[in-house]
Amino acid sequence: MALINKVLPGYVATLWMQEADSPTALTDTQLGTWANVEPIIGTEAGGLGTTGIQIPVEAVPPFGSDDAFAAYSIAGARTGAKITTQNQVTSLSITAPWNPADTAQLLVREDGTNGTIIRTYVVAVYDGTDTVAYAFNGRIGGLKWDMSPSAEGKFEFVIHPVGGNSYGWSNNT
Amino acid sequence: MSTQQDPTVYSQCIQWQLTDILSPVPVYAVFNRNYAKQPKFVTWQLRNVHQPVYTGQTQSNKGIDSPTFQATVFAQNMNDAFNLSNTILQSLHGYSGMFGDPTDNGFFVAKVDCVWLYNTYDNELGLNQIILDCTFYVPT
Repeated sequence: MALINKVLPGYVATLWMQEADSPTALTDTQLGTWANVEPIIGTEAGGLGTTGIQIPVEAVPPFGSDDAFAAYSIAGARTGAKITTQNQVTSLSITAPWNPADTAQLLVREDGTNGTIIRTYVVAVYDGTDTVAYAFNGRIGGLKWDMSPSAEGKFEFVIHPVGGNSYGWSNNT
Repeated sequence: MSTQQDPTVYSQCIQWQLTDILSPVPVYAVFNRNYAKQPKFVTWQLRNVHQPVYTGQTQSNKGIDSPTFQATVFAQNMNDAFNLSNTILQSLHGYSGMFGDPTDNGFFVAKVDCVWLYNTYDNELGLNQIILDCTFYVPT
């Protein structure tokens, strides 16, 4: 199948993660290989759903890479220059409607407590037929529970990616 | 400064333009009027069909569509009105997937968002009415 050739509503994005308590994260190559990513994504988003579980988030935050560059200038010259440097993979600040018994949220809670578990996460974009997937490896940090009475209870956390190359794009074939 | 435009002119132009585009298919301006006699029934009307358009002369440089249809549930029996409205909510609110007949023009919606607006009662018709707005988000 070809890549999705449409402009998409933000609603089509879903967030998935490996569901094992002590998962084996994908390698850098596997992160960009559909056959490896597909099992983590659920069937409702065009995957197989055999090794992954969905994280029920309010919205999938912006993902990709941080902007980073080195700037230099030369005295007397009119213009300097900006040279991109090795960009870091962006951390994802997640807000989820908190359900204390939700399986995925419990898994995140345990990862955050542990602090060392590296897990593969996948953002799946699905148009009803085809899927584009952004996969990366990360650890959980910044667990917060926000019980402000002005809104529903929220479970907030951050997924910090591991390594500069630990992400990959793939799509169903 | 601006001048308030005349919607009557709009309607005349729309009628002409659509007739020109669609000819020989007839085009009518319809003011929705309900003649149904059943003890319970549902009507709908579509509105807010709009894709944002972006800069430049390329016509296809535009965004997604998020139209709304208003469903009105009519029922002589109040419980029927509530139950029918609840059926719509249970089926459509948060729904993602095929919308319409999959074998005939059905299409994928990323999400449907329903709002139960209000209830009312028409004493002359003897009908309870519940009005719901359903917005659906369509990849384009």
